[in-house]
Amino acid sequence: MRQVLIEYIEEQLLSGREGMKVDAKDDLMGSGLIDSMGMMRFIRFIEDHFEINVPPEDLVIENFMTIEDIDNYLRRRKSV
Amino acid sequence: MSKKETPSTGSNLTQSQLLLWTGQKLSPDAPLYNMVLTFEIQGAIDVSRFQLAFRHLIGQSDALRTVFIEEEGIPRQQVLSDFSYRLEVVDWSENSGSLEDELSWLSNRNSIRFDLSKRLFESKLLKKSEHQWIWYLNQHHLITDAWAVSVLYRKMADLYQRLGNGTLSSATPLPVYQDYLDYEKNVRFGTPNAKVSAYWEKTQAKLPPPPRLYGHPGLASTTKATRVFLDLGAERSDRLRQLAMEKDLRSWTPHLSLFNIFVSVLFAYLYRVSAQTRLAIGTPTHNRTTADFKETPGVFIEVLPLVTEIEPNDTFSTLLQRVRAEANEFLMNAQPGTATPELSQGFNVVLNYIHATFSDFDGMAVKSTWLHPGHVDPRHHLRLQIYDFDVQGSMQLDFDLNQDVFDASLRQRVPTHFLKLLDSFIADRFQPIGQAALPDKEEYKELTGDLNQLKMAESNTGTVVDLFQGRAAKNPDATAISYMGKPITYRDLDERSNQLARYLLKKEILKGERLAVYLPRTPEFLISILGILKAGCAFIPIATDNPDQRVQQILASAQPGMLLTTDTLSQAVAGAEVAILRIDMEWPAIAEEKPAHPDVELSPDMLAYIMFTSGSTGNPKGVMIAHGALSHYSKWAKGKYAENLKPIFPLFTSVGFDLTVTSIFVPLISGGTVVVFREADTGPDLSLLDVIEDKTVNIVKLTPAHLALLRGKDMTGSNIKTLIVGGEDLTSDLARSISQSFNSQVRIFNEYGPTEATVGCVIHEFDLNTDTQTSVPIGKPIPNMQAYVLDVHKNPVPQGVSGELYLAGAGLANGYWNDTELTAERFVDNKFATGSLMYCTGDMARLNQAGELEFLGRVDHQVKIGGIRVEPGEVEAALRMHPAITDCVVVLQAHPGASDIDKISNCVRCGLPSNYPNVSFDDSGTCELCLSFDTYQEKAGQYFKTPGELHTLFEEGREKKQDKYDCMMLLSGGKDSTYALAQLVEMGVKVLAYTLDNGYISDEAKANIERVAAHLGVDHIYGTTPAMNAIFVDSLKRHSNVCNGCFKTLYTLSTKVALEKGIPFIVTGLSRGQFFETRLTEELFWKENVDVKGIDEIILNARKAYHRVNDAVNKLLDTSMFADDQVFEKVRFIDFYRFNNVSMDEMMQYLEEHLPWIRPSDTGRSTNCLINQLGIYVHKKEQGYSNYAFPYSWDVRLGHKTRQGALDEINEEIDQHEVHRMMGEIGYTGTERRPRDEKHLVAFYTASSRIAQSDLRNHLAGLVPEYMVPSYFRHLESLPLTANGKIDHKALPDLHIEQPEVDVPYVAPGTEVEEILADIWTEVLQVNQIGINDNFLGLGGNSLSAIRIIARIEDSLKLELPVNRIFEKPTISALANHIEETILAMLEAHKEQG
Repeated sequence: MRQVLIEYIEEQLLSGREGMKVDAKDDLMGSGLIDSMGMMRFIRFIEDHFEINVPPEDLVIENFMTIEDIDNYLRRRKSV
Repeated sequence: MSKKETPSTGSNLTQSQLLLWTGQKLSPDAPLYNMVLTFEIQGAIDVSRFQLAFRHLIGQSDALRTVFIEEEGIPRQQVLSDFSYRLEVVDWSENSGSLEDELSWLSNRNSIRFDLSKRLFESKLLKKSEHQWIWYLNQHHLITDAWAVSVLYRKMADLYQRLGNGTLSSATPLPVYQDYLDYEKNVRFGTPNAKVSAYWEKTQAKLPPPPRLYGHPGLASTTKATRVFLDLGAERSDRLRQLAMEKDLRSWTPHLSLFNIFVSVLFAYLYRVSAQTRLAIGTPTHNRTTADFKETPGVFIEVLPLVTEIEPNDTFSTLLQRVRAEANEFLMNAQPGTATPELSQGFNVVLNYIHATFSDFDGMAVKSTWLHPGHVDPRHHLRLQIYDFDVQGSMQLDFDLNQDVFDASLRQRVPTHFLKLLDSFIADRFQPIGQAALPDKEEYKELTGDLNQLKMAESNTGTVVDLFQGRAAKNPDATAISYMGKPITYRDLDERSNQLARYLLKKEILKGERLAVYLPRTPEFLISILGILKAGCAFIPIATDNPDQRVQQILASAQPGMLLTTDTLSQAVAGAEVAILRIDMEWPAIAEEKPAHPDVELSPDMLAYIMFTSGSTGNPKGVMIAHGALSHYSKWAKGKYAENLKPIFPLFTSVGFDLTVTSIFVPLISGGTVVVFREADTGPDLSLLDVIEDKTVNIVKLTPAHLALLRGKDMTGSNIKTLIVGGEDLTSDLARSISQSFNSQVRIFNEYGPTEATVGCVIHEFDLNTDTQTSVPIGKPIPNMQAYVLDVHKNPVPQGVSGELYLAGAGLANGYWNDTELTAERFVDNKFATGSLMYCTGDMARLNQAGELEFLGRVDHQVKIGGIRVEPGEVEAALRMHPAITDCVVVLQAHPGASDIDKISNCVRCGLPSNYPNVSFDDSGTCELCLSFDTYQEKAGQYFKTPGELHTLFEEGREKKQDKYDCMMLLSGGKDSTYALAQLVEMGVKVLAYTLDNGYISDEAKANIERVAAHLGVDHIYGTTPAMNAIFVDSLKRHSNVCNGCFKTLYTLSTKVALEKGIPFIVTGLSRGQFFETRLTEELFWKENVDVKGIDEIILNARKAYHRVNDAVNKLLDTSMFADDQVFEKVRFIDFYRFNNVSMDEMMQYLEEHLPWIRPSDTGRSTNCLINQLGIYVHKKEQGYSNYAFPYSWDVRLGHKTRQGALDEINEEIDQHEVHRMMGEIGYTGTERRPRDEKHLVAFYTASSRIAQSDLRNHLAGLVPEYMVPSYFRHLESLPLTANGKIDHKALPDLHIEQPEVDVPYVAPGTEVEEILADIWTEVLQVNQIGINDNFLGLGGNSLSAIRIIARIEDSLKLELPVNRIFEKPTISALANHIEETILAMLEAHKEQG
C-alpha cells in the first residue's frame, strides 16, 4: 500500500526527479514536498485507487501528514 | 516526459488560454492582460551580461517565444524558433528624468497593445543610476502567470550569476511549456473522473448570478480599471498568520488557511455590499502540481468558481467552516482544463492569492512591484490580489476596480469596507458577519451630506388651530373654503367651528377624546374637524366610499366618543354602539352656540387625528398623530409649497388617507383657500376631472395614478403652478410627460412619507434635466426628520446598496391605536439618537450618487427566485423605460406542474402547451413563438438554399474525398431521410447510407430501410455501440428524454466512420421544423441584414461545443477526434432540407410512386423507434409536457403538420407497461431531479398594443440582470386598481390557470356514490353547494385538499385511490363513475378468484 502511495507522489507530483524521494515518515506538506493542491490531487487518487470515499470531516492534516499516517488511516477505514 | 517543443503547425490552446484569448477578442483594444512587474535592483548591473542572460532566458523558455495565430476563428499557438530580441537600456540617470516622466513612461509601456501573432512580451533595463536599476518585464497573460514571472526571475538571476562566474554550462535548462500543453490535453480529453465531473456539474447548477456591487446593475461599460493598493501592515499580517494556525481555522498549509480566511471575508464583504446571499467568486487554481511544472514558465492558472450560500446569521467562524470544506472540494476537483465560459458566468469578482516570491538578484537587494495596465476584463468588476512578493511579512492587497462600477469616491471606500470586515474577523471571529457597520461615521456623514442635518427653528405659534386662528384674525374676510362656487370666509369657518366645539363640550365630550367624522367632502367636514380639534379632541376621518362593514370595523376598533355624520349616512352605522351627531339635523342647535373660541388649551403632545390604514392582517390599523407632528409637517409644507403663492388647494381625494391633510391644513394656515369637491354618492369618484377644469386651483396634492390621468392633456391654460405627488412611486417618464403638458410651467414635488411619519417627510423637486433615472428620487428628509437606509442588522448600508428605510424625528406618529405589539415592532429604538424611536417603513431604498434617496418598492413585495432576492419594483421601473409601455406590474406566479393538467391550454395556432417554459401567450391564446415567427419568417428564408447549390457543394467535395463515396446519408428510415436519400441518388451522388441501430428500431422500420437501400442501389451500414443503454440513461437524467443521447451517438459514430473512410460530407434528413427547433433562433434574424455566413459560423461553434460537453457519449465513446477542430473541416454536415423545400404532399406522393417505403404500423405514428415512448413518458412526468411538443409546434408553424395532428400525437396514449419493461432493460431507475423552480416572474403591462416578447426581453437585457427578466409578459387593457388608486395585485389574472369561465349549471348528486362524494367535497372544500359537474380546481381545490378527500373516500368506501385521480377526474360525476367502475372490477376479480 505504502509503495503505491510513494510511487504516486514521486512519479506524479515530483516529476520522477532523481533527488526527490519520499520516506514514509516525511512530513509531506510541512517539508514543502507537496502543496495543498498536490495533496488534494493525491487524496482524489487515493479515493479512486482504493475505491473509498474520504468524507469532508476526515480531510484533516492528522490523517495525511505522512505516508505512515495515510497508511494508518486507510487501515482504519478498511477495518470498519 | 518528453522534452520536445511545439511542432511547427502549432498547438491548440489550453482551456485557460482559450478563455483569455476570447476575453481579449471581446475587448480587442484594451490591454486587459498585460502583466507587468518591475524589479528595482540596488547594485551595479553589468549591462551586456544582463542582456546576454536575457537572450539565454528567451532561449530556455518556449512560453516567451510563443505567438498566437488564428485560422478561421480558431486560435493556435506556435513557438518561434527564429527569434531575436535585444533588451534595450533606457537611461534615466543622465537627463535626471523627473518621477513624473518616469511614471508616464511606465504607464505608456504598461498599456501597450500586444499583437497576439507577434512577440508577447517587452522587457527593458532602466538605469536610474550606476547603483540603481530597474528590470522591467511586461508579458501578455497568454504566456505567463504570477508564478511564471517568479520562475523567469529566478532563472534570470541564475543566468546572470553563472555568466559572471563561468558556470553557465552546468545550468539546468527550464522545462518546456509544451509538456503542460500535452498534459492538459490528456486530462481534458482523457477518461474523465466521475467524481470530478459530478462536482463541476453540481457547481454549475448552483451558480448564482453575479452580485450587484453597491447596486451597480449588470454589465460594466468599460474595461478601464483602477488599482487601489492596501498594505495590511506587519502587525495585522502577523495576527492573521497566528490566527491561521488556530485549530478551528487551520487547513492543510498556512497559505491555504490564509486563503480560506480571505475568501470568507470577501464573501462576507460581497454579501454586505450586494445583499445577495448565494455568491460565487472566481479564484485561480495554479495547476502546477508537479515538480517540473513548478519550474515551467507559461500560463498554468485557471480561474474557477467557488460558491457559498450566506446564512443571515452567519458568524465569520461559521462561514469559514463552510469555506474551508468547500475549498478542499474545490482543490480536489480542480483539474486542468475544467474552466468553461459557463462556469465563468457566475462571478464578477476574482480573488487571487499569490504564493510567488522574489528573492535577491545575484546578491543585490530587490524590490518588486506589480504594475497595473489600467484595464481589466470588464466581466470582472473587482479583482483582489493578495501577495507578499518580497517576503517582508506584510501582506499587500491590490484591489483592481472597474471604473464604471466604482466611481472615484467608492474606489477609496472599497478597501476600507473590506478592511473593516477583516479587522472584525481578527477581533472576534465569532461575531455575526453583519454586525459591524461598513461605513464609518465620517463616511456616513459624507455620504448623506445634509441628509438628516436640516433643522427648522421651532416657531412660537403651536398647533394648526392656533395658526388657523391667527389667519382668521388677520384676514377674516378672506375665502377659507369655496364650495360649489360659494365662498366661506375665515371668520365664518372660525366661528362655526367654535360653535361646534362648544356644542361638543356641552355634550360632555371630554378633552382628549376621539371623535369619528363620517361625512362627504363638504364644508361641514372641514368645520367638523376644526371643531373637534378646538374641543381638544382627535378626529378620525372615515371616507364615505368605505363599505359599511369597514366603517363598522373602524368604529369597533377606535371606540370613538361620538360619530359626526349626516342623517343619510347614519343609516350605514345603524347598529354601531356609538353616540351619533347628525350635523345636518342638529346644525340649528349648534348655531345657537356662542361664536367665540371655546378656550380649550392644546399642546403638541395631544392627539390630533387617528388615520386608519389597511393592515396586513386585513384589520385596519389606526395611526395616531399628535398636534406637534401635524403642525411640524404643515408648517414645513407651507414654507416649501406656499412661499410665493397664496395656496388654493382642491380637496378632492378620499379623506381616509393623509394625502388630504396637505390639502386642508396647508391652505388654512397660510391664508389660502380649500376648494371642496364633493364625491358622488354612488359610483367612482371623478372629482379630478372637475379639478382640472377649475380655474382657481393653483396647487394640487395627488397620487401618481391620478397624475397619469393628466397625461397628454393640454394644461397650458391651467392655473395650477405646483403639483405635489405622494403615495406611490413617481416615474420620471410620467413626471416628464406631465411637465410637457404644462409646457414646463409647473413645479412637481415628489413627496414621500408613510402615514406613520405624518404625510410627507422626504422631498425632491423633479428636475426635467437631471432626473433621468427610471423613478424620480424621493430626495432628502425635511428639516427635523431623519432617514436611514439600514440592513437587517440595522447597520447603515454603503452608497448604492439597497436597504430598508427607517424614519425618525419630529413627524413620527405616537404609534398604533390600541396595538402596543405592532407599535413596538414598527417603532424601534433609534440607535443613531439614543432615547428616541425610529419607524421601520417596510420600504426598500438606496442612496444614489447625488446623496438622495431612491425608492425601490415594498419589502413585502420582494420575491425570491432560486434563492436570489428580486425587487419587482426594479423590474417594473426598467420595463417602464420601454417607450411603448404606459404602465406595468411584475409579480411572482406559480408555474403549473405535471399534475396540473387541467390548467394547461394549447396555442390556438401551433398547439404548444401553455406550460412550455418561458413562452407567453396573448389574449387570443396564441403563443409568442407563433407571433414572433410572423415577423421573421420571411427573413429566415434567406438561410435556405437551392438544390443547385447542393450540387455545387458535392462537386467541390469530390476533390477532397478519399473513398468512393461523395457523402454519407443518415438514414433513419422515416419519410424525410428516405426521400432525401432518393433525391441524392437521383442527383448522381455516390452515397453511403448509415443507420444507428439503437436496439429499439422497429422491425417494419428496419425492413423499410433495407428495402429502400437495395432498391436505390446504395451501400448501407448499421452503427451500434454497447454503451447505448448507458447513454439512454444519461440522456434521461440530463434531458428527461432518450432522443438527445441517441442523436449525439449517431453524430459521433457517423463522424468517426466518415473520418476513417475519408468521406467529406454527412447529410442529415432533419426537417425544416427541426432547424428552427434546434438552431435557427429568432435572435439570429434581429439584424437588418441576415448574415448567413455568420449564422453558419455560430451553428458550427455550437456544434463544436456540443461535442465537447462531458456527457455519457463523451465518456463512453471514442470522442478524441473532436479535440481537434480540424475534424469539423474534414467532415462537414449538410442538412438536405436546407437545399430542398418539398411539400409534404409531394414527398408522400414521391415515396408512394417511386419507392418501396411503407409506413410502419408497429410504432407510434411519428417514429421508427420503440424506446421513444419511454422518453416521452419520462419527459411528461418530469417536465409536464411531451418533448415532441416543441418540435411539432414548429412542424405546424411551417405547415408540415396540422395543429390537431400534432395535438393527437403529443397526447397519444403511452403503454406504461411497455415503458416500465424498457426501463428495466436499459437499467433506468428514475432520476433524482431537483424540483423545477415552480415560480416565475410575470409582467403585466399596458400599452397601445401588444409588444413582442423578444422586444421586451431585449429591452430589459440591458437594464437588469438576466435572472430579473420575467419569464412571461402579458398585455392588459388596464391594470386593476384598488380604491386607493394603487395597483391591486390580487386582481391580476393568473396566467397559468386563466381559462374562459364557464357557468356550470348546478346538478344535484343522483347516485349513492355521488352523494357520498358531495358530502366529502363540501366538508373539505368548505363550499355550501357543490354540483356534480363543478370542477375541483374551480372550487379552490389543491393538492392538500385532494389528499384529504382521498383519505375520506378511503374511509367511507374502503377504496384506495391515488391522489392524482382527483385531478384526472376533477368533477364529482367523473370521479363517482370511476369509483363505481373500480368497485365493479374488484367484484368481478373477486368472483373469479372465488
